[in-house]
Amino acid sequence: MTNVVVLGAGIAGHTAAAFARSWLGRDDTVTVVSPRPDYNWVPSNIWVGVGLMKPSKVTFPLAPIYERAGIEFVQASARELHPEGGVNDSNPYVTAEFADGRRTDVRYDFLINATGPALRFDKTPGLGPDDGHSLSVCLPDHAAQSAARLDEEVERMRRGERRKFLVGVGHGTCTCEGAAFEYIVNLEFELRNRGVRDKADITWITNEYELGDFGMGGMHLKRAGYITPSSVFNASLFAERGIDWITRAHIHQVEADRVLYETLDGARHEQEFDFAMLLPPFSGVGLTAFDRTGADITDRMFMPNAFMRVDADYTARPHEEWKAADWPRTYQSPNYGNVFAAGIAFAPPHAISIPRKSPNGTVIAPAPPRTGMPSAMIAKAVAHSVVDMAGGAREPTHAASMAEMGAACVASAGANPFTGTAASMTVFPIVPDYERFPPYGRDVKRTFGEIGLAGHWTKILLHHMFLHKARLRPGWRLIPE
Amino acid sequence: MDTDKTEYVTNPTRSTLFMRTFLPYQMWRFAVINLKMIEIIRRSHKTEITPGKR
Repeated sequence: MTNVVVLGAGIAGHTAAAFARSWLGRDDTVTVVSPRPDYNWVPSNIWVGVGLMKPSKVTFPLAPIYERAGIEFVQASARELHPEGGVNDSNPYVTAEFADGRRTDVRYDFLINATGPALRFDKTPGLGPDDGHSLSVCLPDHAAQSAARLDEEVERMRRGERRKFLVGVGHGTCTCEGAAFEYIVNLEFELRNRGVRDKADITWITNEYELGDFGMGGMHLKRAGYITPSSVFNASLFAERGIDWITRAHIHQVEADRVLYETLDGARHEQEFDFAMLLPPFSGVGLTAFDRTGADITDRMFMPNAFMRVDADYTARPHEEWKAADWPRTYQSPNYGNVFAAGIAFAPPHAISIPRKSPNGTVIAPAPPRTGMPSAMIAKAVAHSVVDMAGGAREPTHAASMAEMGAACVASAGANPFTGTAASMTVFPIVPDYERFPPYGRDVKRTFGEIGLAGHWTKILLHHMFLHKARLRPGWRLIPE
Repeated sequence: MDTDKTEYVTNPTRSTLFMRTFLPYQMWRFAVINLKMIEIIRRSHKTEITPGKR
């Protein structure tokens, strides 16, 4: 009998748990430890944030799904890893904390850490919807709050007021620029739909060196006889929609009506707003780890940013020496062979975009994205390895390096079945491999992007397909990650 | 909006804008886009480790 414990029930954790349960035997157990009672299809939070969907359309309760699937569900936050067990018992376990402060120990034979990110609004004073002055779409209730504030702004504009919208990322080291990009183009589309676009000044603020970087160093697209960088297409889309932009920016502070920011040249600026949706930087969730004697081994298992060390090459090197082979393949902990990470929880070896600092020493460079398709792909590969190792394999049997896999992404740019559009993109591989695909690092035949109504239809299709899959409804295994 | 920026940006032609929501063309593009994505997904799902190959 094998006990597999999965920490987290987001895209990675839920995928890993579902496949592990599906492939393991009846005597084996799969337990999910997650603090939230609901699953959230995060990519559709964008539509909640502009008022086109209710949070209930992007979430569903996990408990009945897990009960039907035979997965045990512990609704609690993982706090401590004890990969060597305790003094009197060498069985490894996780200590989790319930909402009321009680603690429980969950024993495991294999552990998959898919805890996702901690949303670090605290990294920028004044950032965030709870204690700050900006909005977010990271969580369904954040997105609903943004939609309610948008309704208020629309009412003001209908009364003739001119309003300033600021959308982007709230710190120089943020990732997920793609989600903020989706939000700003959907916001612009929605303001047009509601007949108030002429009363809105919309500005994009980003830590990207150039538009269209998205933390992946941008991409090059073959179009009309040219290999063209994504910055050209992104700038075109913004200009066409009357969206202004500020690049190479780190926000130092969010005040009630303005952000104070620094650009890569070291200059300080201000940007006023009436409505700001600014995504936070991420870190790991802050798990601590202890050896058998109770000594703290957190720094052995986790990087300083609290993401988990896996089979990546973490040797610090200048970016000119970064290689595709630095990226992890199996996501196995180098310290404990029965511990894996999946999705955002693993520590990347380095950024993908070129790291840059202002003359003041401020880091202004996007962190690498690892959400959506790569998250689920990694989770499935890890689940496969765990199941095979439970069956006797000595090493992980499946690999899902971001430098070897591609990604398909659809970024909504306006939700309407006849007039909406979305940018459909594929990129191969996600992490550029300059040795295999010189000079751009990616296969230009398989890296493409276009904007149109067809992309919106695809986005709608994906929304329903992935929710069907996440609900583990008939045929869910046939839907790819 | 800053005209210095918009002066130097690639702008879509009227026909490009029209084609973005022209139903027959978009139905064709829907098929093409999905085929391209399926190809990427198919390649990326080959995760089994082949002995001796990193």
